[in-house]
Amino acid sequence: MIQLHNVGLSYQPEAAALSDINLKIPKGDFVFLTGQSGAGKSTLLKLLYAELTPTRGQVLIDGQNLTRLSRSQIPLVRRSIGVVFQDYKLLPNRTVLENVAITLEVLGWGQRDIGKKVFHILKRMGLESKLNSTPLRLSGGEQQRVALARALVNDPKILIADEPTGNLDEENKEAILDFFKEANNRGTTVVVATHDRRVIENSHRRVIRLDKGRIVDQGRIVDQGETGSAPEESAEVADDSTQG
Amino acid sequence: MTAPKANAMKKTTKPAGAVRPKLAQEGFFGRSGYFFARALANLRQNVFVSVVTVGTISLALLIAALFLLVYVNLEGLANGWSDKVQITAYFDKEPAPLAVAALKTTVKSIPGTKSVTFISKQEAESRLRARLKGQESLLEGVNADVLPASLEIRLDREHRDNFAVTHYVAALKKVQGIGEVQYGEEWVQRFNTFMNFFRLMGLLLGSFLTIAVLFIVSNTIKLTIYARKEELELLSLVGATRFFIKAPFLIEGVLQGALGALLSLLALAGCYFAFLHNAGSFLGVNPAGAGLSFLSPLHLAVILGGGVLLGFIGSLTSLRRFVNV
Repeated sequence: MIQLHNVGLSYQPEAAALSDINLKIPKGDFVFLTGQSGAGKSTLLKLLYAELTPTRGQVLIDGQNLTRLSRSQIPLVRRSIGVVFQDYKLLPNRTVLENVAITLEVLGWGQRDIGKKVFHILKRMGLESKLNSTPLRLSGGEQQRVALARALVNDPKILIADEPTGNLDEENKEAILDFFKEANNRGTTVVVATHDRRVIENSHRRVIRLDKGRIVDQGRIVDQGETGSAPEESAEVADDSTQG
Repeated sequence: MTAPKANAMKKTTKPAGAVRPKLAQEGFFGRSGYFFARALANLRQNVFVSVVTVGTISLALLIAALFLLVYVNLEGLANGWSDKVQITAYFDKEPAPLAVAALKTTVKSIPGTKSVTFISKQEAESRLRARLKGQESLLEGVNADVLPASLEIRLDREHRDNFAVTHYVAALKKVQGIGEVQYGEEWVQRFNTFMNFFRLMGLLLGSFLTIAVLFIVSNTIKLTIYARKEELELLSLVGATRFFIKAPFLIEGVLQGALGALLSLLALAGCYFAFLHNAGSFLGVNPAGAGLSFLSPLHLAVILGGGVLLGFIGSLTSLRRFVNV
């Protein structure tokens, strides 16, 4: 469960990036965070994996208040959250295999287990032939899948993605979204920030809309059993997104 | 997909590898193998940056080592000269042979005495004759009685400065039977002024050089770590602890420092055996006498340890700036 209570964040004294954010995302939910550029989507996501600390309010992940954690406790929280960064953050001088393995190395897995697990997930992503390539030799879609593999390889409780379909063609967008759905079906809570209207329309999931750092639409919280079928909401989203 | 289908999928699909393998032991020693392997892989994967760092460390240490080599040799040379600080104490009357031993013991008991040699009137005359060889006519009619008997005294290294020599001479003059005392006062003063100046210059140059080496090496390491700040950032975002992030970088720093120091010592040995080794004969000084020698094992160990320490401290201070997890 992700909970934000009266969260506000200001980079500068008189310019609030986020204000009065109250939000609940139940465990196992699949949520889209949308809004125009500069609406505060990325900032809100950064609060969830403690890259930023709110100037006001509280952020709770599974009951743990991130704003009260010590510096040494933050890594432990991050280990249960997979993040697909907007700029992928792949290390150019490491191979695809090594890039994905980082997540498991941090957890202290042995090399043999890491090799098996990484190969397994990269095979699922269709990247088994690229194990020893460096990221710069991959296409945009392939790089995105490597970033996703790195985020998912340790079966995180929460998956966060910032504009994951930004530079991808339709085919790659579909593939990436399928991986998100697959992870969600396994019980992972998924939070995706996007301004891609078509992605939202086709997914029929809860949509939270941000505007100028405030939540302007919480979206309907879909019951676990309803996941994947919310026709009324999809119509609503289509309407909303035409405005946004 | 309908809701029941989704539910069915939830039940049937098990996360692959959900059963996590046993974690490796925490702490440095539990994971030292991983940290060393990662440090070596980092060196391999960042060849250019590693070569630049090792090259900078070895060049900086080579300059420092060359300075040390020159300083140590000059100090050795100067110490050789200081052996010439000799005091001659003349007797008013030649002491009886039996009294000589007692006098020598008295003089030896004065703090700072290294050696005492008795020169009898006879010996003084034969020395003079030896010096004036070929001009013996000058000494016609001169007998041994004209020359005074004396004690030639050498001081140990700690008692060769102006103050100690004056103090020593005052004590010597109190010994019964000793008349005049000569010790080349002006020469001793000039020599000691030169030595003090030389040591001060050495200290100043050495300090500047050390600061320059520290500055160059720490900045090079800082730049190399800055070039990899994305890696540091990513590691922290996937949940690595500060220690986990820093350990491989610190090992890398130590390896680079040690490698740089070894290379600098090899280059120093190369310079020494190719050129400096023979510098004594170029300068017209006897190499053995002048003490133009290679650095002692202690000095070599200090340079090697300095390299390791530079790599470690340089990495540690730079990481502090970039790892804010």
